[in-house]
Amino acid sequence: METNAISRRNFLRVSGLAGTALCLGFYFPANAKNEQLISATGAEHGFDFNAWMRIDTNGKVTLTDHRAEMGQGSFQSIPQIIAEELEVDLKDISVVFAQGNPDKFGSQITGGSSTIRGSYKKLLKLSATAREMLITAAANKWNVPAAECYAESGHVIHRPSGKKLNYGDLVTDASKLSPPADIKLKEISQYKLIRKPLQRLDTPMKTNGEAIFGLDKKLPGMLYASVERNPRLRGKLKSFDASAAMKVPGVKNVFKIQMMVFNTTRDGVVVIANSTWAAMQGRKALKVDWDESGFEHVNTADIYKQHEELLQKEEGLSFKKQGDPDDILAKSANKIDVIYQTPYQAHAAMEPLNCVAHYQNDKIEIWGPIQAPDWVQGDISSKFKMPKEKVIVNMTFLGGGFGRKAFLDYTHEAVAISKEIGGPVQVIWSREDDVKQGPYRAGISYRAQGAIENGEISAVKFKMAGQNIDHWNTDKRGTANNSTTEGFLKPYYDSIKNISFADVPYEMPLPNMWWRSVYASTNGFGYESFINELAVLGGQDQLDFRRKYLRDERCQRLIDRMEEVSGWKSRKKNEGFGVAITECFDSTVGQIVKVSRREDGKVKIDKVWAVMDCGWYVNPDIIKAQVEGSVVMALGAATIHEITFKDGLVEQNNFYDYLMPRMSDIPPVEVHIMENTADAGGVGEPGLPPFAPALTDAIFDLTGKRIRKLPFKLSEV
Amino acid sequence: MINITVNGQRHDIDADPNMPLLWVIRDILGLTGTKFGCGAAQCGACTVHLNGEAVRSCVTKLSRAAGQKIVTIEGLSLHNNHPLQLAWNEMNVPQCGYCQSGQLMSAAVLLRENPNPTDQDIDDAMSGNICRCGTYQRIRAAIHKVAAMQTEGAKL
Amino acid sequence: MKKLLIISTILIVGGTLLLSFRTEPVKVDNPLRLAKDSVGSAKAFMSVYKVLMSARCMNCHPAGDVPLQGDDNHLHTMNVKRGADGHGVYAVRCSNCHQAENATGLHMPPGNPKWGLPPANMRMVFQGRTPRQLALQLLDPKQNGGRTKQQLIDHMAKDDLVGWAWHPGDGRTLPPMSRTAFVAQVRLWIAKGAYAPSAKAK
Repeated sequence: METNAISRRNFLRVSGLAGTALCLGFYFPANAKNEQLISATGAEHGFDFNAWMRIDTNGKVTLTDHRAEMGQGSFQSIPQIIAEELEVDLKDISVVFAQGNPDKFGSQITGGSSTIRGSYKKLLKLSATAREMLITAAANKWNVPAAECYAESGHVIHRPSGKKLNYGDLVTDASKLSPPADIKLKEISQYKLIRKPLQRLDTPMKTNGEAIFGLDKKLPGMLYASVERNPRLRGKLKSFDASAAMKVPGVKNVFKIQMMVFNTTRDGVVVIANSTWAAMQGRKALKVDWDESGFEHVNTADIYKQHEELLQKEEGLSFKKQGDPDDILAKSANKIDVIYQTPYQAHAAMEPLNCVAHYQNDKIEIWGPIQAPDWVQGDISSKFKMPKEKVIVNMTFLGGGFGRKAFLDYTHEAVAISKEIGGPVQVIWSREDDVKQGPYRAGISYRAQGAIENGEISAVKFKMAGQNIDHWNTDKRGTANNSTTEGFLKPYYDSIKNISFADVPYEMPLPNMWWRSVYASTNGFGYESFINELAVLGGQDQLDFRRKYLRDERCQRLIDRMEEVSGWKSRKKNEGFGVAITECFDSTVGQIVKVSRREDGKVKIDKVWAVMDCGWYVNPDIIKAQVEGSVVMALGAATIHEITFKDGLVEQNNFYDYLMPRMSDIPPVEVHIMENTADAGGVGEPGLPPFAPALTDAIFDLTGKRIRKLPFKLSEV
Repeated sequence: MINITVNGQRHDIDADPNMPLLWVIRDILGLTGTKFGCGAAQCGACTVHLNGEAVRSCVTKLSRAAGQKIVTIEGLSLHNNHPLQLAWNEMNVPQCGYCQSGQLMSAAVLLRENPNPTDQDIDDAMSGNICRCGTYQRIRAAIHKVAAMQTEGAKL
Repeated sequence: MKKLLIISTILIVGGTLLLSFRTEPVKVDNPLRLAKDSVGSAKAFMSVYKVLMSARCMNCHPAGDVPLQGDDNHLHTMNVKRGADGHGVYAVRCSNCHQAENATGLHMPPGNPKWGLPPANMRMVFQGRTPRQLALQLLDPKQNGGRTKQQLIDHMAKDDLVGWAWHPGDGRTLPPMSRTAFVAQVRLWIAKGAYAPSAKAK
């Protein structure tokens, strides 16, 4: 990709227009393997949302953020990358969100911690290309060799003479040039912006109410919708009585809606009104009769009992196996066989789901907090039989996403409602809708068996049982969960000769979906807890034990750093220290948690140290913020909240029974970043999985009690 | 008609007196900086100042605000330069940013009443505001920063 | 005994007629005068005690500085604190969420114009008190807000915030007897000599 990304043959340019701007972007033809660079002037049409950058004749730069901004920092990190190689000041850059357009941007899904690792090489190359074109334009103008010129702060400067031209004065000429074929990118040591803890460009508008989130989008003539959906995913609507709802002042219309969700249909009753409040009041006045027959109504306790039975009885589908752990386990005397369990979890982003849609006969336009505008475009296009280019998907800021806003139900629902009423509508989910409808991170159980001989791990056997995200497509059944080993560090495979992983399929009609760090969030608890248990079984220090089994150089340095920053070796007697290291989305994070007993006898988390190795990175302060936040989210999932089911219904409703970590609940988190030149890894998710196993290990260190089921209450340890 | 004053501007509101102030502010006045998070006074995203107190506008009826003075995030300062807003920017507090209007409105009441709060004071004042991104540590640091800046300023 | 039952019944009937009002005061203008009776008095107090220790009363008379919630008396979420005046602190003042009346719906904030805990200098703790401790505390003007016995009865009978306990809003359980019956027991307790139950009583 690096060598042939820029093809002269496919380079497009339009010249001869006065006052044009230089627009640069990549083009991803649907059937091509590699992206192509394009340049086009388009000033007379206003900003081309599908160019990655535009430099205007006044020297101002407008960048397109092709990914969602849901807190992870794309709004800052993408400009920070581009400004570095383009040689412009961040203050001269403004950022707009892209519309969904995979042909122009490639993948736009903000998931899998992919914002930077999926785009940074292209962005560096694109901005360096623009810079070189501007330098060439200046050199041509001055009739001097380009080698005598350099770029700085939005200007090209002729070194010998000191002559200087603003980018704005060069864009028209530059847009007539062919892009250079061979671009040399800066070395890390030359970076002026990248790797610096710069302030985020989106902070000012997030401190004075200016930032527009999905919920803040208003259109002229827009109505508001609130939808009563069947509380059981597969339940159907028998009948409803709208007479009381229609009497609520402001309520305009009530109707049934049915839509595909996963491989089933979801029934709901829509209330349309002239304000959010009226729609919500109207909905409360509805009388709805659901048909909930014909499928299993499950209880949480049964789910975990079934998991345990499966894990005891079934070998499951093999995912990975080396050596013969079964044989060794059968013969070994020094072994353990335990079960770890993790709960169902809701995403509970602070901004409840919402979407503004306007269905018209010749086009569909959508605005909302959307993690995957490209997916939404494809989905709406196919479901409403509208050509893709007539489906315009606009991203707003997202008030959190965590995976939920990459699911396509709420955008589809909004378009269907707009189509029904024949005008623009905003569909607003209540917090209760958000908590009770899911989809959820599935609760997973793990059976871990292992043996220690002569202080060494001789065999490890892991089996997981729980719902599989992919199984909503029934044709994907029959193979082990793709993510069976997600989170587990690969260097273990070099040192643990006999190890196996299997997935024991478990089907249940509960909506489940990715949740921050996906299966690593549960796998990490099972697998790294077990490494700690094996260390104890072998009578060894948990950190040294990892040093012995993670012989990869980056892991060794990570472990050294963890030991150094946490004071692991100088711990005091009444302190509990615990550790875990996981890898996901190409980044490895190790955490050390320190706990102690308070005067009232309850366990308190004193501190969390996190060391992140994400390779090449952009903004260390954003990385630290992401890890700090990941620890808080992990703390909630481990010790504060869970989704439970009774008779197939979710028992939680809102933040009063799906409690959240609050200011008074959180320990200080200290984050360190490893310096290296490896390819960029993800940042938004990898900080989450190691927390729970490190915490329970610290509690074991303090109390001798090993916690194997999440969540647990710190106050009850 | 119910008369309310929002950010210094008087408005005559023609709406159900039971409509929560949140929806009056957002849907009728179009000030969208105040956020909907739970509708049950659990999360603090909708916090505004009603006569200086950090009320949760999602459960505060329009009728309670009749004739009263309301300040929303848009009115916290004229130029995004309340000491807390400056510190929020300097410390890179927000991630997604959705809860931060409420966090700032709560923190402003804390600092008005206690210019030099301890960690315990911050816990006591700020635990009514949820941040799912987990920016609490930075909110705490930013509040301390403002306190320090104000102490410095007082010395000068 | 029979006479007392009749009085209670009259009070209950009277109370029932008033039940349609939100936090109706119970009529107690005629002080009850009865012979001293330590057994009957203490017995009446045990009924009073059951009400005071019910979630609707005790949750705002906690042992610590955090109000309680729910029938399980868990600590109020959000790290809510009493504050000097009993109405919270900083951005977490009671009235920031609790309105002058109950918000409708399950788990929505209950309300009253006076919503709050007793102030920090007069904490009036119920939680954890034995019947004897609580009786003595209620009778001690230094611990009961400077109330005489008659004022104590008036408070139980007429105070609007006390009355909230019998109109607690959607989904909340009621104290174990009506307010009228409760006030009748308070009056009996005091009229018979205001005896505290023995230290063994639970």
